[in-house]
Amino acid sequence: MPLDPKAVTATKVKKLTPSELQILWADGHETRHIAAALRGQCPCASCKDEWTGERYVLPMHIPDSLEFTKIELVGKYALHFDFSDSHHTGIYSFEYLRELCRCAECAKERAEPA
Amino acid sequence: MAFWNKDAGGVSEADILGALRKVQDPDLRKDIVTLGFIKNLKIDDGNVRFDLNLTTPACPVKDQMRDEAVALVRALPGVRGVEINLTSEVRQTPQMDKGALKSVKNIVAVGSGKGGVGKSTIAVNIAASLALEGAAVGLLDGDIYGPTTPIMLGLDEPPKSVGPRMIPQQAAGLKFMSMGLLVKSDQPLIWRGPMAHRALQQCLFDVDWGELDYLIVDLPPGTGDVHLTLAQQVPLTGAVIVSTPQDVGLRISMKTLRMFQQTKVPILGIVENMSYYVCPHCNSRDHIFGEGGGRRAAIELDIPFFGEVPLDLAIRTQSDLGAPIVVAMPEAASSKTLRDIARQVAAQVSIRNFSAENAGPVLEVD
Repeated sequence: MPLDPKAVTATKVKKLTPSELQILWADGHETRHIAAALRGQCPCASCKDEWTGERYVLPMHIPDSLEFTKIELVGKYALHFDFSDSHHTGIYSFEYLRELCRCAECAKERAEPA
Repeated sequence: MAFWNKDAGGVSEADILGALRKVQDPDLRKDIVTLGFIKNLKIDDGNVRFDLNLTTPACPVKDQMRDEAVALVRALPGVRGVEINLTSEVRQTPQMDKGALKSVKNIVAVGSGKGGVGKSTIAVNIAASLALEGAAVGLLDGDIYGPTTPIMLGLDEPPKSVGPRMIPQQAAGLKFMSMGLLVKSDQPLIWRGPMAHRALQQCLFDVDWGELDYLIVDLPPGTGDVHLTLAQQVPLTGAVIVSTPQDVGLRISMKTLRMFQQTKVPILGIVENMSYYVCPHCNSRDHIFGEGGGRRAAIELDIPFFGEVPLDLAIRTQSDLGAPIVVAMPEAASSKTLRDIARQVAAQVSIRNFSAENAGPVLEVD
């Protein structure tokens, strides 16, 4: 789905708790991400087969209590996380972070595309 | 002391600022008072003096703005003379203010889709032009495998080190760093990606760049490890794309352009190189690689077109001699074109630094 540039421009990134991240977007939307859920969607090549997309790290491997130990910007386009299970190779583009938004509104939009 | 020095010459500070509000910065689209450009305003018996503090010493419209300001203030009743001192303070790109590069205000990448379009020549001349305008400029030769800036700047001595950091070399008013300074010119670098990544990191973070208004990075052709490293490691202010007018060259430049878009690096504009050849005998212009390709692409993509640089024997000769043409032959037509391009690059950098959408997110993550 092609996204409005404002929908993928983050204005604020805030760690609400050690395991919860809030992202505010330029279009006014708010996204909340839980560390364990993001860890499960890690786009890096050691978590996901580069060709088939098969996931090597499954939810059962990830403790619900997983925390962010470090959050950094990657250039201007992405975020990088260190997780408390010491995984740190994923680069999450802002587009990907918006795509992964789990709020009711986004879930509905995914179910019935406009 | 009265706040308005009304009695002294009959003209007040408020009158003057009111008049100056009519002067617009055409790039930033605000008036020069709102932009905070007016500093050290003094009124002494009808003689008005102030600094016009611009966002770059390479401002392409500085004379126009100064002339407008002089005319407007002079027209006020009670003003006998106007003296404007042009100063500048280059703004820093947001998020740039940390780590080893904290004193570097802007990093601008110069890229192209394919090799041989004269990207290094353009990068060196843009950097030297900005230095001629009075800016503090660094040039990083990111072409790890085929570094050419040591030839173009006529210096290939290895840089000295102080502690863990290298001191960049200086030539043509620039600080510069290149792999060509570290490796003998006839020695190839046979490296895999991770080594190129590491080398660029060192050139960025282990070099004592000091205070710079602009760090110009001359990229290798294409879209590879160096590009990705740069886009990931630093908040680039933007990128300049160099292309020839030839459609093939342009189409390949598009790839570089799309890569920058994907990594959210703003495209500052396109420079067309080798646009035409002026016959030294009859002065006729030949558009050897076609005409207008760069301009068309810029319009199509809605990005600024910085100008056309001709195929000029003097540009090539000066590059090989180790003195960029803008420094060695300032009066040459090509030098004027290149300096004009550099001013437009500086203007685009200022525009980006003033725009809110370029600011990046506020991070509260500790």
